Amino acid sequence: MQQLISVVLNSLLAAGLYATMAYGLAVIYGVMRIINLAHAGLMMLGAYVTLTLFSRFSIDPFVALIIVGPLFFLFGVLLYGAVGKRIVRSGATPSMESLLLLFGVWLVLQNLAYVIWTGDTQSILTSYTMKSVEIAGVRVGVPSLLVFLASAASLIFLHVLLKSTYLGKAIRAVTQNRDAALLSGVNADRISATAFGLGTAFAGIAGGMLSTLMAFTPDFGRSFLLKAFCIIVLGGMESITGVAIGALVLAALENGLAAYTSIPTSFQDAVSFALFFVALVAFPQGVPSLVTRFQRRAIIR
Amino acid sequence: MRARVFFLILAIAGVAIAEDSEIRIGAVLPLTGKESKIGGAYKTATELAVKEVNDAGGLQVGRKKMKVDLRLLDDTSDAAKSAQLVEQLIVQQKAHAVIGGYGSQLVQAESVVPERYGIPFISGGAGASSIYGRSKWVFGVLSPVEDLAKTQMEFLTDLVNRRKLKAPLKIVLLKENTEHGKDFETGVLNFVKTHPKQFSVVLDESFELYTPDFKPLLMRVQNAKGDIFMCDAHLEDYIAMQRTYTQMGLYHQMVTYGARGADEAARKGLGAATDYIFASGWWSNLLPYPQVKAFNAKWQAATGSAPQWYHAAAYETVRALFAAIQKAGSLNPDAIRNGLAKLELKDSILPGGVLKFSKTGEATLPFVVTQNKAGGKLDLVWPKAAMTGDPVAPIPR
Repeated sequence: MQQLISVVLNSLLAAGLYATMAYGLAVIYGVMRIINLAHAGLMMLGAYVTLTLFSRFSIDPFVALIIVGPLFFLFGVLLYGAVGKRIVRSGATPSMESLLLLFGVWLVLQNLAYVIWTGDTQSILTSYTMKSVEIAGVRVGVPSLLVFLASAASLIFLHVLLKSTYLGKAIRAVTQNRDAALLSGVNADRISATAFGLGTAFAGIAGGMLSTLMAFTPDFGRSFLLKAFCIIVLGGMESITGVAIGALVLAALENGLAAYTSIPTSFQDAVSFALFFVALVAFPQGVPSLVTRFQRRAIIR
Repeated sequence: MRARVFFLILAIAGVAIAEDSEIRIGAVLPLTGKESKIGGAYKTATELAVKEVNDAGGLQVGRKKMKVDLRLLDDTSDAAKSAQLVEQLIVQQKAHAVIGGYGSQLVQAESVVPERYGIPFISGGAGASSIYGRSKWVFGVLSPVEDLAKTQMEFLTDLVNRRKLKAPLKIVLLKENTEHGKDFETGVLNFVKTHPKQFSVVLDESFELYTPDFKPLLMRVQNAKGDIFMCDAHLEDYIAMQRTYTQMGLYHQMVTYGARGADEAARKGLGAATDYIFASGWWSNLLPYPQVKAFNAKWQAATGSAPQWYHAAAYETVRALFAAIQKAGSLNPDAIRNGLAKLELKDSILPGGVLKFSKTGEATLPFVVTQNKAGGKLDLVWPKAAMTGDPVAPIPR
């Protein structure tokens, strides 16, 4: 029983981390239909900005997220003006140019980081980094708990923004049908810039959170990007709630396999990609669509 | 006609003489990219060793004293580029010998080139066994990672013999999914096989580099109920894993992360959670040899900081190559290669004090073991003859 509680708790905490990594990717894909390959570079940059705020101005990493978010939003809007805008004009579906262009942005960011912060391994050590609290007999790291809470707050923020504001409705309209949204008077270009800014802000926030859990170099983020892809495919590509569900499915699978099977934990990535493959083949609209499909069948019966 | 042939021969001979008026040493190092930190350190140490020789008027090659022309290229931490640059140094720049870079992955790519052209190649930054023994031209100053693990097991055995630890001891063995990790695993398993009464392995797992969440793996460690925690990890994974380990409240009588332990970045990222972790290394500036003390002083004067193991390894790589060239008495590649194969550098600053190579081209040097103590102190705890403090075992709860 204790092991089950441990698996459930660890899965929830890991899901919080994974979802944060994937929100930004999902927002940009939803609106612009591009796979933001620069996402890993933006996460890395978020980690370094958080580190700088912590080491230069003694700002707690979780408080620093309040600065990192708007700062990266602005950066994202500027990046959209310089790069993103051109991608949208090249077509409505992910094109090879968009992948190459954003991959180039990632490389530029990575090399900038090498110049500014060098290749030294960096980490953030706060007074609570090594602390843990006991929940239902399971010791949980304080930073992991804070990451989970920040992730939950991000989910609520995005949910409210998308469901209850004009901006959110416009984003959803562009996500569902760009041409129809344009005909209805929505400024799709401005909405795309906002979405790119939002995606960038969430990538920066994810990087800031990750910097409290692990050490990093300018090469940071590569392995997380692959996991984030898997999560948004599981979540249905465009849905923020779907992303949270996708993250939970992946985290539960990883923790469950480690606890109840003898499959080596080094197969975690293999599990992620097997799931990615199955999701693409069996339910390309993601886990939420699978749930809807089952509900419909139940009603028909 | 005869006069023309005579002048032609004279011109060719002149070119040959001009070419051999200096020793061209090629070096490929990761000066930018992910390995740039240690790559940069290798550059500083390599240049220092070359400068010393040139300041002394050059190297004695046969009857001539020749200056060294170091041609150092940056591979940007890219394995494919690394191999290409070694080729460039040999083919275009006519290097007499090549010094390899840092990192097993990069050196592995480089090490296939010297065989094609028959040029001696020596690396001071790769310990993976798979690099050596395939080509007679490839040498390495770092002893194999398998021996690193073996040294740790010998250290633990000594702690058992001194009744600091009580046998039988159950080991949880974790390793990164790389050549380095596999060699570490082999070293531990081979030792355990020959010491079944003292040790057993209750968990043997690998993990991917930069794993985002170590909890699933550490849950298995918790369930395995081992006495000794042995892990081979890169610095980033060491920091992330030890954080989760501490947060989960895990305890083992002894903890090691292979070659990782005393790193400044880890102390900065983990604080007191690094206390009592022991680590094996290829060198320590705490070694009590007079030549090490002289090197420490020289390095401090040249750079203003204390030398680390990678500085010493890079410096000794160059010294080994120069000693081989002197022994060869010529710049003939075969002669230099034979000089390296038969080398016995008796005033080496590396552990054991004598640098020589096995038949596979790997150095056969002992490892040192250090242990972090409270308050940021570090002690050399193995070999016994070089101890600067008594090992703390078991780790206080």
